[in-house]
Amino acid sequence: MLLSIENLRTYFYSRSRRAFVRSVDGASLSVGRGETLGVVGESGSGKTVAALSAAGLVAGSPGVIGGRIELKSRNLLDGIERYVKVEERDGRVMAAEKDERGWGRQVRRLMSGVRGKEIAMIFQNPRAALNPYSTVGAQLVETIRLHTNLKGKHEAKDKALHWLERVRIDSPRLRFDSYPFGMSGGMCQRAMIAMALCAEPSLLIADEPTTGLDATIQARIVELLRELKDGTGITTLLISHDISVIRRLADRVAVMYAGTVVQSGTASQVLRPRDSRQHPYTAALLASVPSAETIRAKSALQAIEGEVPDTTSVPRGCRFYGRCNRVTDAVRSRCANLEPPLSEIEPGHKLRCWLHAA
Amino acid sequence: MNDTLLEVSDLSKHFRSRWGLASALTGQGRVIPAVDGVSFYLKQNETVGLVGESGCGKTTVGRTVLRLTEPSGGRIVFGGRDITHLDRARLRPLRREMQMIFQDLDAGLNPKMRVRAILREALTVHERPGDAEIERRIRELLEQVNLKESKLANFPSELSGGEKRRVGIARVLAVRPRLIVADEPTSALDVSIQAQVVNLLRDLQKHLGLAYLFISHDLPVVELVSHKVAVMYLGRIVEMGLSETIAREPRHPYTRILWSSVAEKHTAETTTAKDIGGVFDFEQPTRGCRFAPRCPLYQQQGRPAVCTDPASEPPLRDVGNGQVVACHFA
Repeated sequence: MLLSIENLRTYFYSRSRRAFVRSVDGASLSVGRGETLGVVGESGSGKTVAALSAAGLVAGSPGVIGGRIELKSRNLLDGIERYVKVEERDGRVMAAEKDERGWGRQVRRLMSGVRGKEIAMIFQNPRAALNPYSTVGAQLVETIRLHTNLKGKHEAKDKALHWLERVRIDSPRLRFDSYPFGMSGGMCQRAMIAMALCAEPSLLIADEPTTGLDATIQARIVELLRELKDGTGITTLLISHDISVIRRLADRVAVMYAGTVVQSGTASQVLRPRDSRQHPYTAALLASVPSAETIRAKSALQAIEGEVPDTTSVPRGCRFYGRCNRVTDAVRSRCANLEPPLSEIEPGHKLRCWLHAA
Repeated sequence: MNDTLLEVSDLSKHFRSRWGLASALTGQGRVIPAVDGVSFYLKQNETVGLVGESGCGKTTVGRTVLRLTEPSGGRIVFGGRDITHLDRARLRPLRREMQMIFQDLDAGLNPKMRVRAILREALTVHERPGDAEIERRIRELLEQVNLKESKLANFPSELSGGEKRRVGIARVLAVRPRLIVADEPTSALDVSIQAQVVNLLRDLQKHLGLAYLFISHDLPVVELVSHKVAVMYLGRIVEMGLSETIAREPRHPYTRILWSSVAEKHTAETTTAKDIGGVFDFEQPTRGCRFAPRCPLYQQQGRPAVCTDPASEPPLRDVGNGQVVACHFA
């Protein structure tokens, strides 16, 4: 495994509610070399915070409080237990104290030479992530000279142009001297992708790379990511709420709900429509988007009742229990009171559901 | 009996951009034709979907139809009355019959007011019902949008996205409108909540006979909820027809590309979406057909002169079955 995240907990203290927002609450994810792992989930499910934790970019208090994050067998949370004191009851964190300044120094030590070089990120709003005062070319050259062994200006420029071509920006020589504000959203996203990849990172984290772009542009960005994946074999952690994007790009898929992974497996295992070997949440999510049949029959969409849960008060049992439509009398009391374990139902395919518990 | 509720003909809206030295000297800005000659009609109990990329003018059409933005030209007839140039006082009683749902969930929800006060205000804007009647109507609205009574005491900031949307819809329903312009009503919501809202809007239409102008970039949702779909490109309707025809037998190359970009995401088959180059730009108007610079058909046909002839922007042409297309070759 190139990246493995185990039992990660990233909490934020909410003063107004006097409680922890358990953004990531015991999530485990792993990405193999050359593989694309798609993480799907709704807003607040913890997918972005999990990725930010891996890149050591969590801002807020207390932030990461436990777990393991390993990149190429290097522990990126090395020594976290020395900085955090956690009070647990029944496997739930009740209180946490963290030496944040000390941990901040430790993160800088651990992440030097990792962030930007080993782990590169692309974000939802590319224009916000690019420096508005600097041309696209200058930003690329800076990244290349910083992170690769091409230190000369001219060779770095050649490399930058090569990457602009690679992400199919038209007239790359012209765009090299453009500022981000002079480019469309799709172009900025391409420039952002070039910037992430030019350092030749081992892991690319793509957080909602197509969200906010127009439908036709989205399709082209997905096409580009697909092409780059086949061409460079880059390992990718792809985060999206859009199942269709995940379907197009991911080899394996993890479904997150309320801070934990409720299902993971190969893309075909997880995204199989109308399969009984699925987490009820995944099944409901797949059914809630209009399918060809729904449109033809003009029938009602199968909505998931209720609301996305508030992670300040995580229920005792299964986190999806309140909205689940598959619960049977045989498992009801367990669902309501005990959090189901993540159990493997077929090779490589794991579910967190009492209906499928071994 | 004629049940046409809204008839829009040759609607246009031009914005002036005053920027740069030339406009400062001459006092004249560059004119940006955000909406340019749009015509369609909407019947009771009917939904017309308006799709297109961002910036194509679909929101401007929605706002202009309601006279939230003043039209630059054309005619808007609502319920048999020409409202294009109606003054504010005479427009006011009509305002209650035409409402808008905005993309922004917080639009129209005063953060300092509790849900009960928000709904009460909406109920008393146009009429003066008694307290008991207000209470009865509030309960009716809650039932219509499927919202718990306990939420009445909450402030908007204490509501989830789906609940905010429901309150927004309840507020609009309070004045008993006949036409609702829904501008991206689901795009700010989570996937699992989107389906609830789509179902709610369709149920309300069934029970109240509402007409919707449904503006969205989510093509499958538009196809599901709409009876007719109009596709806009650079301020013009380039194709319009029954939703199943537009989705399954599109004629205009732009419509094809738009729908293939969805199909591609769903079926993993590669189509023409990646061939379409460039991005449109209002500030560099093209001669002839506006889509020609991005058009794959134009390339295939060997760049025929008629497409870029300034004198012949393709008009909407009837191709039967209620479908109209603005293309020389489709």
